[in-house]
Amino acid sequence: MKKDLNFELNILPVLDILSVLICFLLLTAIWMHVGTIDTKQAIGDNAISGEKNPPSLWVTLAKDGSIQLSLRDVPKANSLEESISKISTGINWSVFSSKIQTLKEQMPELRTTVVRPEAQTSYGDVIRVMDQLKKYQFEGVGLSPLG
Amino acid sequence: MRKSALVSLRKSPLLAAMSLKDTSKRGEKGASKELALALPLTSLIDAFCIIVIYLLIGTQSGGVETPVSAKIALPNAENGITVDKEIATLRIERGSYFLDDKMISKDSLTEKLAALKGKSPQSVELMIQADTNMEYADLDPLLRASSEAGIETLRFAVVPTR
Repeated sequence: MKKDLNFELNILPVLDILSVLICFLLLTAIWMHVGTIDTKQAIGDNAISGEKNPPSLWVTLAKDGSIQLSLRDVPKANSLEESISKISTGINWSVFSSKIQTLKEQMPELRTTVVRPEAQTSYGDVIRVMDQLKKYQFEGVGLSPLG
Repeated sequence: MRKSALVSLRKSPLLAAMSLKDTSKRGEKGASKELALALPLTSLIDAFCIIVIYLLIGTQSGGVETPVSAKIALPNAENGITVDKEIATLRIERGSYFLDDKMISKDSLTEKLAALKGKSPQSVELMIQADTNMEYADLDPLLRASSEAGIETLRFAVVPTR
């Protein structure tokens, strides 16, 4: 009796595995959205143009996680010099958040902020501070170079 | 009537494709042709579904595709905004600077950024990609160089958390 040499190669399971692999790759490798936190930096002779500076909030970040808040170009009655102590995990985010929220409620016209980190401050912390400021509608967030 | 309907079902190529079995009797004319038509349609439909889902998600994101180095862990932010246009990217990786994937030295930052500014008459924006654990000291030369080059808007790349 002659043996039948014709046979069908079942490629369905192979294609199914490939489909699953493609799904896996699409979900893990590609779909990471990137957003941005924008800053407006001082350029050229902005600082000496003679115009009156708008009221601004200066946020000084120390490398140990403590934060200094100060208001500039505001009437003396509104002046502020406040520091937020660090906690064991670094910056005390809840206190910082509540302080700037209170400040914004008291002075809605306050829009400009300058973030002044120290050299060893983590970039992630700097971004998080700017993120918090954006959250409370501080639109003109700038970064100060190291002194 | 019923018999003729059954005969037509048996000869249907669609049914043959679904069963992938030789339902014809041996010796019947045209049996080998019917087997050749048996396409694995299920897997093709699967592949098309995946492509459709890919395109649907891709078109709904609305932003510009931005390549990010696998060596960099971008910081997270709640209030990040979507990147809506192609802009120059400056990556900081272990103290080295890469402008649009080309490595540049710290000393030539101002010169390269000024050249970038000179290319476009409009306001130039720069996207900065850096690792969340990087020290601020590594960012400082870039801030100074961009200020000297006249680039006003810096966009720090983040991973949106909402």
